[in-house]
Amino acid sequence: MTRNTRILMQCIYWAFVLYLLVPLFLMMLMGFKDSKFIGFPIRSWTLDWYLGVFNDTAVVQALGYSAVIAVVSTAIALFMGTWIAVALTGRSFWGRAIILGLTLLPAVIPGVISAIAFRIAARVVGMEPGMWAIIWSHAIHNVPFVVLVVMARLSTLPKSYGEAARDLGADPIITFFRVTLPYLTPAMIGGGVFCMLLSFDDFVRSFFLGGYEPTLPVLIFAKLRSGMSPEINAISTIVLVLTALLGLWAERSMRGMSKRAAND
Amino acid sequence: MTLSNAPGKADRPGFWGRLSGFGPYAALTEVLFASPRRQFLVLLTIPVIWVFVTHLGPILQMLNVSLLTNYPPSPNKVPSYTLEHYGKFFTEGIFITPFIRTMVFSTVLTLTTLIIMYPVAYFLARHVPRNRQMLFLMLLLIPFWVGEVVRIFAMMILLGNNGALNLVLQFLGLTERPIPFMYTGFSLSAGIIYLTALYMLMPLYSALEKIPANYSEAAADLGAGPWTRFRRITLPLSLEGIASGCTLVFLISTGMYATPVLLGGPSTTLFSEVIAGFFHVAGDQWPVGAAFSCIMLLTALAVSGGFNKIMGHLAGRVKK
Amino acid sequence: MTKLLMNRRRFLHGTALGAAALASPAYLRHGMAQTGGEVNIWTYNNFVPDAFKTQFESETGIKVNIRLVDDQGKQFNLLAAEQPNPTVDILTVAGHRYLQFIDSDLLAPMDTGRLSNWGNINPVFSESDWGTIKDQKWGAPILSGAEVLAYNTEVVSEEEALSWDTLFADKYSQQTAYILQDMMSVLMLARGYDGNMIEYMNDEAEAARIMTEMRDYLIAQKPKVRKYYDGGAEVQQMFVNQDIVLAHAWNGPIATLITDGFPVAMTIPKEGSYGFVYTMNIAKGAPNADNAYLFLNALLSSPEIGANLSRSSGFISTFKDVDQHLTEIERKATSFPEEQLAGLQFFRAEANEMKYRLMDPAVEQIKAA
Repeated sequence: MTRNTRILMQCIYWAFVLYLLVPLFLMMLMGFKDSKFIGFPIRSWTLDWYLGVFNDTAVVQALGYSAVIAVVSTAIALFMGTWIAVALTGRSFWGRAIILGLTLLPAVIPGVISAIAFRIAARVVGMEPGMWAIIWSHAIHNVPFVVLVVMARLSTLPKSYGEAARDLGADPIITFFRVTLPYLTPAMIGGGVFCMLLSFDDFVRSFFLGGYEPTLPVLIFAKLRSGMSPEINAISTIVLVLTALLGLWAERSMRGMSKRAAND
Repeated sequence: MTLSNAPGKADRPGFWGRLSGFGPYAALTEVLFASPRRQFLVLLTIPVIWVFVTHLGPILQMLNVSLLTNYPPSPNKVPSYTLEHYGKFFTEGIFITPFIRTMVFSTVLTLTTLIIMYPVAYFLARHVPRNRQMLFLMLLLIPFWVGEVVRIFAMMILLGNNGALNLVLQFLGLTERPIPFMYTGFSLSAGIIYLTALYMLMPLYSALEKIPANYSEAAADLGAGPWTRFRRITLPLSLEGIASGCTLVFLISTGMYATPVLLGGPSTTLFSEVIAGFFHVAGDQWPVGAAFSCIMLLTALAVSGGFNKIMGHLAGRVKK
Repeated sequence: MTKLLMNRRRFLHGTALGAAALASPAYLRHGMAQTGGEVNIWTYNNFVPDAFKTQFESETGIKVNIRLVDDQGKQFNLLAAEQPNPTVDILTVAGHRYLQFIDSDLLAPMDTGRLSNWGNINPVFSESDWGTIKDQKWGAPILSGAEVLAYNTEVVSEEEALSWDTLFADKYSQQTAYILQDMMSVLMLARGYDGNMIEYMNDEAEAARIMTEMRDYLIAQKPKVRKYYDGGAEVQQMFVNQDIVLAHAWNGPIATLITDGFPVAMTIPKEGSYGFVYTMNIAKGAPNADNAYLFLNALLSSPEIGANLSRSSGFISTFKDVDQHLTEIERKATSFPEEQLAGLQFFRAEANEMKYRLMDPAVEQIKAA
């Protein structure tokens, strides 16, 4: 790469970051507006919307509820998605295309339809609407995303790695945990982030499969009916800050881990 | 990842060594992995059960609804089976336009996202020092923790006639009157790329990140120019990432709903809006909506299947 | 609509507003020894005030579960998917959906005899003919809305806003927005037709001809419209962002903009317009029907609750005597001059099957044009 292209790419990267962050900056700003609606001009400012978020038990509960759903459904989707990806990669057998097609289906079905179908299916198997029904539907919807990301990484795993391990006497389970899984970790982190995001932002499935406790998007949609208020912006900003802190913490501890691993 | 941490139970009696020495475990693996064939069946059982039970169920339900004359069941009409809802798509011309528009739109969008995100992913994977990569990546990921609708409204106050962008342009004296950015192809693309960028970035990044830097250096030593190096080494080795990124973005963009509805103009109706209309606006036309969804589903799967076939073919040629 | 709400009977009230006042009356003097249990309600955010809910729970021992709904279509789909054993007791239905819920056999007829506070509803709403289907009542009206012409007062004059035609004037090209389906009904009325299409129930050819005329007109006007929108939050944001200066809208979202001090106003234009009502209904097969009646009766017990509903939604309260519980600006934002109200009529659903069979493709064609 020449110097010029490198600088060009750097510019593209930062321009893209700017494009992503400017709307978020506006969102944060609007949380301070003393009005029921967001937009310019801001004639007077207030802290009430931000402070109000912490006093609003409904919001805090919904946030916790959504977080639990996101974490559990992601864990299930990662487990199933990785398993399916491992089973399907590098083999050709009759029916592989069918299984792959079926695996990808939940990602393509329009939200409303899959939500209604899940609702009816849940009744057939006797599952009560509520947290587990939401988790179940999110996990199913998110599996395809894990499969795609993990398969892309897995297809580049040099065959020699596994063979070497087996030569040393490792059985397939140990080979998987000691060789394949570490190699897949970046893809699984990526897939996991997808799942968390999809689950955390999902409205339709949560609405149809939920009970009387709202997830955060369901609560926000309900609030949106009386207008996009600074309150919603304040809630979103706080969620953003919390996840950013969590991300920074994870990044630091991961860097620490890799340092220690390097020192071993 | 090097071979040095591949397992060796002889020289390292750690957890895994003790596990494989543990009697019942050894017996179990003996049974499970007796032959490659059995090993394969064991591996495949759980995915097959999961896929057929959880993924197929809702689809069959949708297929079933799409063939019924009326649904949800109502007391005065007994449902029977029919194919007329599928016929409706082909005979009434008005649905074809949004359908084709969606397919073209999704394809263009996928390519655009690829073109924008490739340099971003490349920069991230190849030019950012390794220990800083997570941080730079997070900068791109964090915005997505804000819900779609909230982000869209933020986009509105950025692009509106009285929005931040117009205010800045007017302040700088670059324009006298506000430029109408909203409800145009511009606002629509700006909103949708925001939504799909991440799904392109992640696979591209993970593909580019693992290409060894010395490949490119070796080629440079052999006198290959930057463009040749990119075309002959980087691009082929990132094909897998391109394929899965494009598949993700394509599938997602055919089903998008909220963003086009909120940011699009009067002439940009997409097929997902048509489908949603059968469920939301005219609540008693589920069968038509379900039939149309089946049509869209099959097409989207066929397109992405064909695309992956081509990519697989290309990747195969490269390996040779 | 304030004038319509004037009536003969007056109750004694405290003058305090809002939540504090809600905590005053005992809703169920004779219901103290209730069996407890619960009541499940689907409704919009803020439709059941927190203070009222808390007091109802403590007085009756009945737990109130509220599920927030944001859209009638989803609510309909959810209830349909729950058949035949719904989890819900009370749901909030908008007027244009009323008949659809009844026709799909999702609601139970309402025994108004069990609601001693039924008389607290303004008879304009409780006794009107649209509410009686199959010789029965199906819901308790709580709020009323109207299709209005909203305008930015700094750009558009009130005289201009008194006609629907201004929405299509060249002067405001690219500065207008409307909801297509609603606009078609209103346009029919403005052109002297029956927007409910009941007159043409026996003459579908005529209905189709009118629909085609409306469709072609709106296609011709398409270059001048900025946005076909769906939701109240959208039209509010478009006004705030100054993307539009003139729009067809529901009065609720506009009233909220007015009370927030934004320079916007609304009229019921001289060609007339349609109104609709939100009702609280009891689901067919409701698991806690007795508690549901108890809850509804409590909800109807005081004008403060009516005022609170009106305040949070921007729509007009159907309760008698709410005015004194609203501030000056809230009263202004939820009322219209008498001569404009004279042009308002309710949506009727009798011909909806034919109407929407013709309208849905027409809307698709306008969007595709």
